[in-house]
Amino acid sequence: MNVHWKDKDVAQDSAPSWQQLLDLIERLDGSEYDAVAIEFGDVSVRMSRGGALPDPSGAVEHAPAPGASRGGGGTGVHAAADLGAAAGDTEASGPVITAPMLGVFYRRPAPGAEPFVQPGDRVEPDTTIGIIEIMKLMNPVTAGVSGVIAEFAVEDGAQVQHGQVIARLES
Amino acid sequence: MTGDRPVVLIANRGEIALRVVAAAHRIGAEAVLAASAADVDSLAARAADRVLVIGPAPAAQSYLIPELIAQAAVHAGADVVHPGYGFLSEQPRLCELLEEEGIAFAGPRPDTLRAVGDKSSARAVAVAAGVPVSKGRTIADVHDVHAVAVLGSEIGYPLLIKAVHGGGGRGIRLARDEAELVSLAPQAAQEAAAAFGSGDLYLERYYAAARHVEVQVFGDGEGGVLVFGDRDCSVQRRHQKLIEECPAPDLSDERRRILHESARAIVRELRYRGAGTVEFLVDTRSDDIVFLEVNARIQVEHPVTEEAYGIDLVAAQLLLALGRPTGLPEVPPVPPATAIELRITAEDPAADFRPNAGPIGAVRWPSGPGIRIDSQIESGCDFPPYYDSLAAKLIVRAHDRAAAIDAARAAVAATSIEGIRTSLPMLAAVLDRPEFRAGPVPTTWFGAQWESLKEALA
Repeated sequence: MNVHWKDKDVAQDSAPSWQQLLDLIERLDGSEYDAVAIEFGDVSVRMSRGGALPDPSGAVEHAPAPGASRGGGGTGVHAAADLGAAAGDTEASGPVITAPMLGVFYRRPAPGAEPFVQPGDRVEPDTTIGIIEIMKLMNPVTAGVSGVIAEFAVEDGAQVQHGQVIARLES
Repeated sequence: MTGDRPVVLIANRGEIALRVVAAAHRIGAEAVLAASAADVDSLAARAADRVLVIGPAPAAQSYLIPELIAQAAVHAGADVVHPGYGFLSEQPRLCELLEEEGIAFAGPRPDTLRAVGDKSSARAVAVAAGVPVSKGRTIADVHDVHAVAVLGSEIGYPLLIKAVHGGGGRGIRLARDEAELVSLAPQAAQEAAAAFGSGDLYLERYYAAARHVEVQVFGDGEGGVLVFGDRDCSVQRRHQKLIEECPAPDLSDERRRILHESARAIVRELRYRGAGTVEFLVDTRSDDIVFLEVNARIQVEHPVTEEAYGIDLVAAQLLLALGRPTGLPEVPPVPPATAIELRITAEDPAADFRPNAGPIGAVRWPSGPGIRIDSQIESGCDFPPYYDSLAAKLIVRAHDRAAAIDAARAAVAATSIEGIRTSLPMLAAVLDRPEFRAGPVPTTWFGAQWESLKEALA
């Protein structure tokens, strides 16, 4: 059974916290759903027991770029990838930080400067972890979640798309 | 560009994105779609060779950011960006950003977009080109009651109060007399300021029974111009077009000549580049023809012109932007066939045209000679709630208008879209009306007939 919920009335600033998402997973875990997609305003969360996500974009064959996510919500929280862990997928095990928009991702405030954060650093939702440049406009990227950076999934200066995983956190 | 295969970035969504993908493929180009997260599984995304996810679903964070589109064009290695209609199609900023990157824009130059982008300057262009315009006046101060009243009497009543920077039929008010004008003007200025960022107002004569007739042009950017006949788009609800046809019915040779020559003069004056539309009001109670505006983009209703003349305007836009010959022919002022377009929107006509989005069930399209469907929907798809309600366009072509109306009526009957309410029953009701069949109707007709048309919906 698949469900797809949308809550368009939820304001954009009421994005769920990571803990709320975990609570949600726990609650749904005791239910009979195989796959669930929920949208809170700009944030979409997709969960599956079997690995087949209800996101229709999952059906698209030609991926836009290596590592790029095809669907997803608007903020840095992207719950789809890691939830596969519950279904026995061991590749991605922690929360991830995704690109809020297409652009060029930089880990440093300026060339030669120290990176905003390094693997092993602790981040909070409002911690700046990088910059996405679009036509010389610099957009700070915040972690959106609390945790410890495990690794960066893209190189400094890489072209990224909206929803693409930028960094993984320790689980 | 990889070898001889140019790359086209499509900066739009819905049916027009799919339309541009098809045109790109026709000219042997690679089609790259810049899509929001809500559109990564759209028909256009699946037809495209590549998809770049630019941002989240809300257009203000994706399709409406010129820098984001330009950046996507850079990532795509695009030779040309096609903006479709709406969104950034008439924004000089996108065009300028692309010019800096050496990427072509499938549309007019930025200076043209500025010249026709607001009503006062567009009117000035028309005047310079010797094109008939309505008596219009710009209001200097909405609170100077005396001055506003003088302007009103110079134009005559009834008149329309328009926002200088408005568009798409929004921000327009009717004043039947001086009292209405002086009371509505400050209110209109306030609303215009909120909606369009400028409270500047403009007054023009209101014609109670006029038609909306527009001329399709294609300029080479150096003053050369091709005219591809005219369209009648008079079946409108609240200034939104519902049904369009090519050619405009029942136009005298003289009127048609004035319309086409006026459009040609404006294009020459602007050294207009690419596809555009010059809109006119054609009065049914007098001989007046009045310039309305230039739409500096491909329009929703372009397929009726394409079908009536057998041309591909979108492919021609791309070819011109790539610096290649467009292959467009010289055509006669009246095409050899009549084409009618019906706009199928995800709106419920029985509930005051309330938009409805959500999962769509089975979709069945008509088939037969001269039928074309430009659509963003298919069986089992989800209609996203974030964007405008145009779901599909049903276009039919036949040897004359009566045959085209019959074909359109049969095509509507053979169409079914399950799961959401659409405008199909309303379109059927209009096609069944003797006044529409006799044609042409004025733009006020649909609104005046709506209450009785509504009864035919059940």
